[in-house]
Amino acid sequence: MGLEKNTGKTECLKYVLSRMPVAARRIAVTSIGIDGETVDQVTRTQKPEIVLREGMYFATSEMHYRQRRLVAELIDVSNESTSLGRVVTAKALTQGKILLSGPSSAAGLQRWMKQMQDNHRMDLTIIDGALSRLSSASPAVSRSMILATGAAYSANMTTLVQKTAHVVGLINLDLTDDENRSLLGPIDKGVWSIDTNGELKDINKETSLSQQVHLENVDDCKAIYVAGALVSGFLEKVRQNRKLRNVEIVVRDFTKIFVDPQQLRLFVGGGGRVTVLQRSRLIAVTVNPTSPSGYTLDSHELCHRLADAIQLPVYDLLKTEP
Amino acid sequence: MQLKDIIKSPCGIQFMLDRLELQSGFARYWLLNSEMMVTAGDIEAMYGVLRRFVDFITTVDTPYINTLLHKLQCVKDLRTTNAHLHQHAILDDIELFEIKHISLLAADVSRLLADHGMAGVVEIPCLDEVVEILDPDGMKIATFYVYDSYDERLKQLRAQMRKHPEQQEELLIEASRIEDEVRAGLSRRLFAYADAIEQTQNALALIDVSIAKARQMQQLQLCFPATSADGTSRYREMFHPQVKAVLAKGNIAFQPVDIAFGKTPTLITGANMGGKTVVLKTLTLCQYLFQFGFGIPAAAATIAVKDEVYFCIGDEQSVEKGLSSFAAEMKSIDAVIKASRKQINVLALIDEPARTTNPVEGTALVSALLQVLDGDNVSLVMTTHYDIEPGKARCLRVKGFENGSMNYELTEVHDGEVPHEALNIAHSLGIDSQWLELAKQLLRVSRNTI
Repeated sequence: MGLEKNTGKTECLKYVLSRMPVAARRIAVTSIGIDGETVDQVTRTQKPEIVLREGMYFATSEMHYRQRRLVAELIDVSNESTSLGRVVTAKALTQGKILLSGPSSAAGLQRWMKQMQDNHRMDLTIIDGALSRLSSASPAVSRSMILATGAAYSANMTTLVQKTAHVVGLINLDLTDDENRSLLGPIDKGVWSIDTNGELKDINKETSLSQQVHLENVDDCKAIYVAGALVSGFLEKVRQNRKLRNVEIVVRDFTKIFVDPQQLRLFVGGGGRVTVLQRSRLIAVTVNPTSPSGYTLDSHELCHRLADAIQLPVYDLLKTEP
Repeated sequence: MQLKDIIKSPCGIQFMLDRLELQSGFARYWLLNSEMMVTAGDIEAMYGVLRRFVDFITTVDTPYINTLLHKLQCVKDLRTTNAHLHQHAILDDIELFEIKHISLLAADVSRLLADHGMAGVVEIPCLDEVVEILDPDGMKIATFYVYDSYDERLKQLRAQMRKHPEQQEELLIEASRIEDEVRAGLSRRLFAYADAIEQTQNALALIDVSIAKARQMQQLQLCFPATSADGTSRYREMFHPQVKAVLAKGNIAFQPVDIAFGKTPTLITGANMGGKTVVLKTLTLCQYLFQFGFGIPAAAATIAVKDEVYFCIGDEQSVEKGLSSFAAEMKSIDAVIKASRKQINVLALIDEPARTTNPVEGTALVSALLQVLDGDNVSLVMTTHYDIEPGKARCLRVKGFENGSMNYELTEVHDGEVPHEALNIAHSLGIDSQWLELAKQLLRVSRNTI
């Protein structure tokens, strides 16, 4: 998952693929939507191609399959269409380059992954996420993730560290307790309150749009569940309500949170908590200290400061040791 | 006429399709594009197949059926590939894969069905020769690439690629030239099987649709109809599955209806809320289901085959066409009259014609319609609230309010007089009593003046 174009996501995928034990594990690779273009569609900078190794499985669109530069054996053609044709799944018989453009929706991706696991006994599936489709990083789709960040996201190191730490904070939000998870799991819309006895009451059954949710009459509320997106306006309403000072706000997963860092800090500082129903594991963060405009940050300092802020390993994959 | 043309019909056939558990998208496409059957032979043959599948799903173990259903789920839409085959185009890897895939799949499905005495119920062409062409190593696995064994040179080039990855780009170009030759050769050998491959796909769709119809018959308690020899359709305990499902949610039972009609026009009268429109909807639905080979929602049914079916329901205002409800209705009835003048068998089901105009002209229009649609080739069932002279028409009346509840049963009566129950029914709905009392007084005054 990349936080911005040119943060080195494809470079990271390339690195991961080059170190996979292909002989011992069945590994499948795909991307959500278009990826692996030879030239970045937006900024026109050079992008590395994906090199698959012999024995890896992959899914891409019909169009990109026809442009493959490796020998591959087709194992499936899906009924789902993308703008580049149907999604085909194949096994690489030699190493070689391929443009990846897999299922274009999170639901399609989920179906593909299930099929790969059930019918082709995959041990691991790797998804090249797209910035515009954060949903592919949702725990409903993927169990763990690697986050790519870099100078393209912000050229100011302090801002970059802060903004990245905010996203990492969201990914690492605590899970809510087991009772809440089984209670709220099946609910997919509306805003709900849970009282101290664990009783569920609807605040608004249909929508979580903040203009239509009224919290004035909510009493005895231990937690609020927002099934849709959690936005700043809503968080502000909760914060302004004295009765809800120590409330726990539960969301489905971090991809549903759209609040600015400042707002979240104020809410948490005031005694509130935000938790999730589903959580994916953040394995590592990679950085690309160079922005597409040519500006380069100090790699060593960036890795160090970021690792300090997020308490996770941070790597610059292209760093040449001095 | 194809099934997709009537999917939006107010008779509710959409409900039946929504409750059809098809396994593949292609089966749905195939079903929606199937033509309405208009001969007794075709219809009976289709029900013959369906009967075998009803037996099949009732006698065969569930895991076995699930295996078959899973196979059917894998059926792909090969229309583009088929078109290329028919045009003698050179096929690419994806198309060759699809052909191999369906050939192996068809063989599996054939075997699964034959194991339970279903061989030949649906004719599935044997594509063993196609599999041989696309499976040079005899692996019998549904995967494909231009195999090494097609050409010795490919084998060598690919071995070299693995040994010298740095030369891969040049080697790939050389290999792709040979691959193209192989594909051209394979395509030429496959042209002869274009029809067989198309038939195979259609056969798999028919099996999918038949199993879905058979399961629907069990779920909705539908019956196998007989074909009527005398032009009269007879239904015992007919019901509308959608209305029944809606009522069941409110714990209300649907009261089934017995009805028979033939070449003599049939006029249904009865109180409001007496289920007249539901009867017409159900008759339309049943006729379509019959001519597309579905189970019929009734305890028993004998149905006459028709060439065309017309269901005119008065409230189809057409804002887009700029027609008022009256104009839209007149146009749709006009189409029925035009059809009746052709030498074809027509079923016309008309709900309260001319209801939106004044009762004087309305009555005249309905009486005249009864006479105009009195041809031997027309079966007419019409509902009305107008008092009209039935002439030759058979009159059926909804029994109506009995002991405070509605009896939807139809009884034959010998005059066209309509029951006057509107005020009683309005009263039972709890409508404003001042209004209804005033109406009653006015009614008494007008009767006295007559």
